[in-house]
Amino acid sequence: MTGHPAYTIGERLLTIDNVCVHYDRPILEGVSGHIDNIRRDDRPQGQVVCLLGPSGIGKSQLFRCIAGLQRPTCGSVRLNAQQREVQPGEVGVVAQNYPLFNHRSVWGNLTLAARRHGRTDDQAREACLDLLEKFGLVDSAKCHPMMLSGGQRQRVAIAQQLLCSSHFLLMDEPFSGLDPLAKTAVCDTLIEVSTSHELNTIIVVTHDIESAIRISDTLWLLGRNRDERGPAAGGASIRQTIDLAGMGLAWDPDIESRSEFRELAAALKARFATL
Amino acid sequence: MEDELRLVNLLLPFTPVRARWLKTLLAVQALAAIGLWAASGCKTLPSPVEIGAAWVDLVRHQGLLFELWTSVKVSVLALVVSTLAAVAVAALATAPVFTPVAKLASTLRFLGFAGLTYVFMLISSDANALRVWILAFGMFVFMVTALLADLAATPRDQIDHCRTLGMRHWRITGEVVVLGKADVILDLMRQNAAIGWTLLTLVEGMTRSAGGIGAMLLNQNRYFLLAGVFAIQLTILAFGLAQDALLSLLKDAVCPWSTLGKEQART
Repeated sequence: MTGHPAYTIGERLLTIDNVCVHYDRPILEGVSGHIDNIRRDDRPQGQVVCLLGPSGIGKSQLFRCIAGLQRPTCGSVRLNAQQREVQPGEVGVVAQNYPLFNHRSVWGNLTLAARRHGRTDDQAREACLDLLEKFGLVDSAKCHPMMLSGGQRQRVAIAQQLLCSSHFLLMDEPFSGLDPLAKTAVCDTLIEVSTSHELNTIIVVTHDIESAIRISDTLWLLGRNRDERGPAAGGASIRQTIDLAGMGLAWDPDIESRSEFRELAAALKARFATL
Repeated sequence: MEDELRLVNLLLPFTPVRARWLKTLLAVQALAAIGLWAASGCKTLPSPVEIGAAWVDLVRHQGLLFELWTSVKVSVLALVVSTLAAVAVAALATAPVFTPVAKLASTLRFLGFAGLTYVFMLISSDANALRVWILAFGMFVFMVTALLADLAATPRDQIDHCRTLGMRHWRITGEVVVLGKADVILDLMRQNAAIGWTLLTLVEGMTRSAGGIGAMLLNQNRYFLLAGVFAIQLTILAFGLAQDALLSLLKDAVCPWSTLGKEQART
């Protein structure tokens, strides 16, 4: 039996306040959620929240709203202690295809991002070198993105976004199409990023329930709104928040061997059908 | 047996072929064409020997290479002017207020030069300037059309990516349209350089007194000196191919990522 790691809840980092997105029909309706700073005494502990939901439910729309790339029809997404409305560039975004500037080298991609955050040339250089070392990319610094493997490309994309965002990182389907070993490598990278700074906050949009449980401290289940009789009432919202930290299921490297992990995964699979 | 199968495969679409095989095929087919030409005995067309003799005569007594240089200067200047103008218009077209102007510029590709020459005359100080303007216009309308089409195909992801890095408005245009499409622009320059050589005869025909290889070609054609016409055409062809190879080398040097993409697509 693994003991529950001790933690405390600090200041609010992100608030999704009654967000709705309408086109010719409601896509998102009344989406609310928040992320608070989790503090552990023995180490810097960032936050990892996974957004789970079936295809076509509106995950991408919510993703764009949280990133500040799309203004919601109503409601707001607010960041940090000041709770200011999110602006593009404040939340790093790693899309599914790991977009990078193909016309720039890895180094060029990173320094471009570093300089845009108001750093001097020396500070930008230092920050880039630090991330290249952390992600094992020093030897690829002169390569163009087309020369990189999928995993290397993903790490460069994450590093680029970390250099210019204010500790927030949104990831769209980072486990999609990966074999089990590659999934483990991505999970390790995300855990490393989340534990490298107290305020680092990663929101992962995914279908992969097992990987989500493995890396998260909180799960958000996005599902269709339903009225009292059951059928969808229009739009989707966060139907359930699962506090894995509170359940003692967060930050355990051996979580997959625990029976609670398997039970939760099975329950979530069953829950998917009703979302 | 294996070699026979490979030869048969050369007739099949999308068969992967080594560069060495392609070069061999090109050499064999070029030699066959020249051989057929020399052996045809056709009295209407000049033989390769007659064309060679005409070329030597044009170089020695009529200043072919000097006239070529005159045309090259016009062609290169027009290429630079049209490229800068097309890139500027395509970049401006990313702002909605300039989009109609850019689309209008693209529709001008259906116009002929008749009538437009008077407009360009008003802004030209001499015959050479007039040639540059007309030629640049002819190249510009096609280049801006191609750039606008490429711009329209830019995925939203790329723009979003720039925005997530905190870039705004014209900075995004600079990164995506100018730097990100440098390889496309250089490819279009290669295409436009070729279009320029085909338009040159027409443009130089309007101002023959200023010389140029196009004017020389028209003069040879006027007196039905076919050997001279072919000699000049082959000179233009050789120079055009060399210019194309030079631009291709420039593209590889400036935009090495574009070649990487193609190599990856092939594998």
